Order: sequence, then structure tokens, then C-alpha cells
Amino acid sequence: MKEAAAHEQFVRSFFNEYECPIVSDENGRLVIQLTDKMDEALMNRPFYWHYMKKMGRQGDPMSLTLITNPNLTEEKGEYIHSGSPRLRQLYRYLLEHCRFTKLYEVVNASGQQSSLVPWLITNIRVSYYGKQKKDELLSIGLNLIHGTMVSSIMERLENYQLETTISDYTFPMTPLIRIPSGYQRILRFIQEHIENTDQTWAVQALETLEEEKQLIHAFFQEDDDEERELMEKEVEGLMGRFTPKVTIDVLNGGLFYLTQETTKEVIK
Amino acid sequence: MDILLDEDFGEELVKQTVNPDAISNWNQFKLAYQAAKASSVPTFEGLVALNHLPHIDFLSHQREAAEEIIHQMQGRAILADEVGLGKTIEAGLVLKEYLIRGMVNKVLILTPASLVNQWVIELHEKFFIQAYAPKKNPAWKDADIMVTSIDMAKREPHQSEILSIPYDLIIIDEAHKLKNPATKNYQFVKALQKKYCLLLTATPIQNRITDIFNLVSILKPGYLGDLTTFKKEYGKKMGSIDSNLNLKKLISKVMIRNRRQDTGLADTKRLVKTEWIEFSEEEQKVYQMLEHIKGTHPSFTYLTLAKELCSSREACFLSSKQMYDKLGDPEATGPLYELISGVEQLPQHAKAKRMVELIQQTDEKFIVFTEYRASQYYLQWYLQQHGISSVPFRGGFKRGKKDWMKQLFRDHAQVMIATEAAGEGINLQFCRNMINYDLPWNPMRLEQRIGRIHRFGQDKNVQIYNFAIKNTIEEHILNLLYDKIKLFENAIGELDHILEELDIRDLGKEVEAIYSESASYGEAKIKLNNLASVISSHSEPYRRSSS
Repeated sequence: MKEAAAHEQFVRSFFNEYECPIVSDENGRLVIQLTDKMDEALMNRPFYWHYMKKMGRQGDPMSLTLITNPNLTEEKGEYIHSGSPRLRQLYRYLLEHCRFTKLYEVVNASGQQSSLVPWLITNIRVSYYGKQKKDELLSIGLNLIHGTMVSSIMERLENYQLETTISDYTFPMTPLIRIPSGYQRILRFIQEHIENTDQTWAVQALETLEEEKQLIHAFFQEDDDEERELMEKEVEGLMGRFTPKVTIDVLNGGLFYLTQETTKEVIK
Repeated sequence: MDILLDEDFGEELVKQTVNPDAISNWNQFKLAYQAAKASSVPTFEGLVALNHLPHIDFLSHQREAAEEIIHQMQGRAILADEVGLGKTIEAGLVLKEYLIRGMVNKVLILTPASLVNQWVIELHEKFFIQAYAPKKNPAWKDADIMVTSIDMAKREPHQSEILSIPYDLIIIDEAHKLKNPATKNYQFVKALQKKYCLLLTATPIQNRITDIFNLVSILKPGYLGDLTTFKKEYGKKMGSIDSNLNLKKLISKVMIRNRRQDTGLADTKRLVKTEWIEFSEEEQKVYQMLEHIKGTHPSFTYLTLAKELCSSREACFLSSKQMYDKLGDPEATGPLYELISGVEQLPQHAKAKRMVELIQQTDEKFIVFTEYRASQYYLQWYLQQHGISSVPFRGGFKRGKKDWMKQLFRDHAQVMIATEAAGEGINLQFCRNMINYDLPWNPMRLEQRIGRIHRFGQDKNVQIYNFAIKNTIEEHILNLLYDKIKLFENAIGELDHILEELDIRDLGKEVEAIYSESASYGEAKIKLNNLASVISSHSEPYRRSSS
């Protein structure tokens, strides 16, 4: 039930953010009128929009009926749950379109000039591939003036007000650390973090790899060319499956300008 | 340990911060972070896919199978559940889990040609997985998830292209066809590049113990040693894996085999009763008239009409009228005309009367299966005359209507009259009585019918009544086919495989052919007898090896 409420909240914020009005809203059944842009992005009918544009006509965007209350089993519409294709689609859309940002903290004009501190904020997925796979999501902020690094930065900033335009009477400080080198510092930090975490998973994967390799060597006759080729293919498959590796992907990131007070607050 | 990272994000960010189109606002940025969290899987363990598929009630053996394949068997396994326990569901669950975790992108599913579409539909509807069944010029490299037949895949130019692709997961349905390493199919499959691999079969060992060796060699070459030593070790002990503990232990690490009796499906019994019914005098007379038709019409006509007359006046009338109109006999004297006028005057059908008697004995729900639409209408009307409420059900109904009928049946009506069992997905565990008003000539269809009520969740014994009219074609069918093969005693799974071995595609058609090709009743009887003995003799060794 908690999960359902979270999904509903997410869906509401998404469509609110992309200016699609909710035209009907009764206990867990939402009807959403899409805009042209969102219809194009979500409804998968490129030919329709291509045709409309070519004819110079106004398109007629569709509406979506989403059911967020899992108890409404008889309703017509798309059920929203963790695996629902629509929710996954919204996730993909966001991760594709919201990779970069530059934001300024909102300061209510007091007539007094104040400076804003530049921060590099990155949200990074670290994936560990052993016999199985797991992900770790890291949200790291780096103060680009004096180099302080803060984790879970998104959680800390959650309730602050930020805008894409700068407030009156404030001015951004020029970073002392350039963004690319700041990013490298973050990467180094993550690599250290990976090396310091429990590595049992990698050791286990290597053990399994070795065991399986031995089986294969026992099975094939290596002096036969054809057999050797098959064997190499098998070994390659094993390596793909069991060689431990880690990937580091930036999901999104941006340059944030925060007030001195906020800077102090998040470092605490 | 390799660490792969994205070196250039810093430079890219510098470039994008001066491009207003690329800048997202604070809310969008936060939503994207939320999306990232929701699409990450923070643990090595467990099945995340279950959370993604709340609309499917996975049975516990299905969940356990998927978990074991992924976590203990590292994604390479033989899935050898008995027929009807949901191998496809288990394979779908494994696939889904790998997709969610991002461990698998490129997938090839090889099935018999007749099952290709079913796989695509099931993956889409049950698992929200978009798979493609290639037609003419398949883009093997472009589509991520392809379902196709081995026959197509091994033809050039497809074969060389497929062999050049490093697949993450390969699923092979009906994998027992790969037991012979000398065949092209086997060598093709062996040559595929794969990370994970699932082999689905209900009969991992069909004839020889080496069958299993060959299957395992696809998954894990070397796991059972090489063929010569394997043969030396186990070759003499023919038949069952179970007889050799050591081998059994080895194999249990690469194979999952659930049986009906282990899954709670066997808790309830099937009680099967044959209801012998006699035609009334008038009916018998009309049935005799059919004999005249034999002389003037193709034997197929006789067969159809005889079957229909055993079902209802309406069914028989409808098709004889149609034939009559088509022939355009103006004389109105032929045997067909005689038959039609005979049928017109018949009273209520003997079977229908018996059906009402049975239903009136209790308040319990009944599902009645008939082969004919006309009989379905007739029975509905006839039940109504006796104050019994009923709902119709046909395979052709739309999804919504099917659900609605099912609900009406569950909540209001006492009887459901159905023409087609194949309506997959309709589960009627709340009903425990079934009347097979007409017996299908293909016993496989009967199993599908029974499967509607005798399935997981049924908590009572299931009562099945088979109707057959004495001294008619129905008596022969029941005696020869059903009794001899002892269909009702066993789950049909094994018949499935016996028929496959004998290369019999559709038993119903086979029987029909025997009837229409035989000159006399005696000849048909002998042929049917032969067919039945062939089948039952095949079922003997099967039973031995599977028990």
C-alpha cells in the first residue's frame, strides 16, 4: 500500500511537471490529458504526428487512464505498479531527458548582495557483476571552491528551492576546481569506495570461473582443431558470465549554486 | 577486477550547462533521481521480478525453480517439469529477472514453429516483454528478443548471422528433440554463443540415458565427463536416472524437475463415470436412416451427421439442411431429405434429459462441454425450461466477455455450457462437476477441458461424467479409444509424448480418417483397435521410466 502511494505521487508529479492536466481524479483512478509533446513522447504513434505536422494540422493528443489503487481490479485502464510498462517508460524518459542541469538556490531579495557557492552534483550507479549482479546508487556533491565531498547529497537538498535562473542580488562564485577535474575526484572517490567494500562476491565468481574452466578442459580434446575452437567459445562464454567487473555510470548531474548557509548545512 | 567508467561526463556537463535546451529544472532532476533509484536492484539475492508482476499468481514451485536457476545454477539449466506445471512461466520469470537486473539484453528463443506465436503473446501479456517473431528478412542483430523455430534459424543466411551474435540468454523449448548429437539441430545449438541457457523439456530422458548426457553437454560440457567414460559408468543401467544415486545427485545441480504429486496438484482425485444412455425408439430409427446415407454420400458426411445426431437434433438438422440446400435436390426423395424430416419430428434428446436429471440432483455447479454450437443453444434453452440458470462460453468470445461469463457462472448461474476448452486462462476451480456431453475425438482436448476445473486451487475431488449413447458411433469411440488407453487414470502429459513419438499430430483427425477410409464398420473397428494397442504399448516403457 505504501508502495502504491509512492507510485501515485510519482505519476502525479511527473504529469504535473510536464503540464499534462489530470482531468478526472477519483480514489486511485486518474485520467490524464496529454499535451502534444507528451503524446509524441509516450504514445508511440510517430506516423500520426508526422502526418499531422506535414498537413499543417493540429494533432489531437490522447488521454491516459491510470489506476494506482491496486484494489480497483475491475477498472479499465493501465495499472500502475513496480513493473508496469508505463511506469518503466516514464523512468526511461526521465533518465534520457534529465541528464544535465544548472541550478541556483532561490534567495528572497533582502537588498543585500550575497554570493553562491558552486557545487558539482552527480548521481551515479555502480553495478557489481559477479555470479549475480547488484546496483548501488551514489549521490555525491563536490564543493568546487574548497573540494569538500558530501554523499547522499540529493536527500540533503530534497527540500531546498532551486531555479534555473539566478535570484536578484545574488552572484555566482567562479569555481576554483574545474568541473572535469572535480568529476575525476568523484570517480577516484568511488573507486576507493569500491575497493574498500566487501569483495567476497568477486572472489566467489573467480572460484566458480576456475572450476568451470577445468571441467571444459577435461571435456574437449585440445589437439583437435575443431574441438579447440568449440572449447575456446565455451571458455569465452564462461569469462563473460563469471569475470567479476564493476561499471560506473553517471545517471545525471549538474552544476548547483548554493548559498553559504546551505553549503554549511549540507556539509554538517 | 575491471572497473569500467564514463570518463567524459565532466567535459560533457561543461558543454551542456551553456545549452538551455539540455537543462532540466529542479523537479525534473529530482524525478530522474527517483527513477534511477526505482530502476536499480540493490541486492544480489532474491527475485525482483515478482514485484514487477503482481498480476500473476506464481505457484511456489515456479518461484523456487526460477530462484534456483538464477542463484544456484547460474542461469544454465534444464527445466524438466512435468507437462502442465508451467515451464514456460518459469522460463519467463527467469528472463524477466535477468532483464530487470540488466544482466541480459540479447535473447534468442527457439521453439517448434507452432509455438512461436504463443511464446510471443505470453511474454507480452504475462511478462510485459516485447519479443519478435521474425518473418521474411529478420534483423537478427537489431531486435533484442527473438522467438523463432530451429528450422528457420539453422537455414542460411540466418544461421551464420545468428552464430555471429553473442547472445546473453538462449531458451530452447521442447529440447528433447536435441538428444542426438549427430543431428544438424544439435550441432547448431552447440555452436551458439551464449551466456545463459535454458533447456525446456518434459522428457529429459526418452530412450537412452545418454539423452541426458547430450543435453547437459549443451549447458555444461564436461560436467558429466566425456561420453566414453559416461557410458562406461552409467550406460548399462538403462532407463531411469533415479536408479543411480550418484548420477541423480550430479544431475540435480543442472536440472529442475517438479512432478504433479509434489506440487499439490495431485491432492484431489478425478472420479470418472461413464453414463451410458439409450436412444429412444424414434431416435434410434432416425439414427438407422443414416445408414442409407452411407451408400449415396461420402463417408465423411455420414460421420459428421452421426456425431451430430448423438449430440442434438439441432446440430444434425442444421448441417443436413445445409448439405441438402447445397445439393439442391428438387425431388425431395433422397435419403438426406428423409433424414431431415425424421430429425424434425424428434422429441427432446436422450442425453439432454439425462443431463437435467444429473444437475437436478444437487445444487452444485456444473460445467457442460459440447462439441457443437447448435447443441449449446439447445441445451441452454432446455435447461431454462427446467428452471436451471446457465451461461454460455465459447473460445471466440472476447477477453472481457469471457471474464464476465466466468463471473456470472461463479456468482449466479448453476451451469456453464462451453464449446471450447482451449479458452486458455479460464480457471474454474470453484466448480467440481463436469459433464462431457459429447466426447471429443482427440483425447488431448479432453485433458484441456478437465484442466479447467482440476487444477491448482481445486480443493475437492473432481467428478467427471462422460456421456455416450449405446449402439452408436460414440460407443465405439469410448470403448476403443478412451477405455483402452486408460486416459482417465493418468494425467495426460504422457500421452502427449507418446503421440509425439509416434508422430501423431492430432489423434482426432487420425480417428476420423480411419472411419472415413474404412469400407465397413468391422474394418474401422479393427483399425481403431490397432491404433489403441500401439498407443498403449508405447505408454508402458514410458511409465516405467518416469516413475
